[in-house]
Amino acid sequence: METKTHPTYATLSISIKRYPRAASAIFQTYNDLLLAQQWSEIEIVDLPTCGRCGFRGRRPENPNTRTCVVPCSLAETISMTWLKSAFGEFEQPEEVFLAINAEDSSIVYYKLSTGITKPPV
Amino acid sequence: MTTTRIPIYVSNERAFVWDVDHVATLRSEHHVCGVLSGTLPHLSQQNVFLGLPLVLMPEELVLLVEKQLATIVHDPAAHHNPTPPQLETWDASRRRGIAHQLARQEREAGRHKGEEKGAQDAVAIQKRALREARRLKLAEAEEAKRPMNTTTGPVEDHDVLASASTPVLTSLPQPLPHSNAPSERASSSPAPVTNAVYTISVPTTSDEFTWYDPALHTYETLDAARKANVWHYPVTEEDRARCEVFRDLWEKGYYMGGGSKFGGDWLVYPGDPLRYHSHLVATVQTSPSAPLRPMEIVAHGRLGTATKKVHLLCGWDSASQEVTYISVEWAGFG
Repeated sequence: METKTHPTYATLSISIKRYPRAASAIFQTYNDLLLAQQWSEIEIVDLPTCGRCGFRGRRPENPNTRTCVVPCSLAETISMTWLKSAFGEFEQPEEVFLAINAEDSSIVYYKLSTGITKPPV
Repeated sequence: MTTTRIPIYVSNERAFVWDVDHVATLRSEHHVCGVLSGTLPHLSQQNVFLGLPLVLMPEELVLLVEKQLATIVHDPAAHHNPTPPQLETWDASRRRGIAHQLARQEREAGRHKGEEKGAQDAVAIQKRALREARRLKLAEAEEAKRPMNTTTGPVEDHDVLASASTPVLTSLPQPLPHSNAPSERASSSPAPVTNAVYTISVPTTSDEFTWYDPALHTYETLDAARKANVWHYPVTEEDRARCEVFRDLWEKGYYMGGGSKFGGDWLVYPGDPLRYHSHLVATVQTSPSAPLRPMEIVAHGRLGTATKKVHLLCGWDSASQEVTYISVEWAGFG
């Protein structure tokens, strides 16, 4: 229970208690966004159909829009329905970033968009 | 749109197109590309210049038949056993073809000789004509003597004109009893008067054969072909999902090619693959709840981004009969 002494514990404690199975992904992703990616105004968004919370915040390179992130563990299994419900809970943004967390605390983000998008030139 | 449906020849649950005009129509009008898979008989190992037949992906066949653009022909069953008269007629026409080839070779050889000499008088021409007629007769007589079943493959019969009584097999180059040098051998036996080599072309389609009757073995629907035990795909839920996703992408105007090089089910092109790079690598999710591991998203997403493509997760929902897409790209951070 060392996490309780972590500076971000207070912010996340409600979500972590509500979604214990997703606790590590939630905790790891929030800290990465806040500290490593230097996002600002990170807001916690409850995603009950996904069984976890997500985040919405401003990226330093693109501070005018708010970017949505849904955390998950590398070890869990998701589905198309799961991904679509994440879009639904965020109120259908153009894109949602999936934060995939590994046990060794490494984290990788993938940009998901509904529909068929063209690759950047 | 063409008015007639394109016959797709099915053999062992594989779909082939054997007519080059049909290949062109499929590609230009129906944006179905398939894969050319035929090699040259003499260069069967090369895979740079491939020709007929065109092999279709199972999803392509299903789409073409469901859209009533093509029919399924059960090719093995359409070939009946020829009756003896049919076989005789076929054999006679084959022999005529060979005699015609040999006669033309003779004529051309004569003309070349004449050109070399530069001068010809009328007597020489007449003599040559007589000689050619005689040889032609000889050749035909020889052809007629040969038993029917000895010439099923390509035959290189060098001595057919030189000696009418030579059996076919002995006309093949004879191994020498001693280890004679090839030059010695060539000098000891004079070359045959004509180089009587002819080609046997195997037709790409069987339409000319009188014992080929595809009409009774043509199926206009997948159901009919399935009942006749000719074509079963799609069998599983997954197959069905693949067909539906393929159809949906096709209806959006995309061209699809095999996706194995990029770890997907298909590569999706915005236009003809000869003109465009693919923008998308597609994988099919059989159902909305089909398990999807985050590792797949990482692998597909990273490979797609590295190759300037977007990975497309294509989900088929049999309840709503809808296909939905989620595009995956690397985020660019983290």
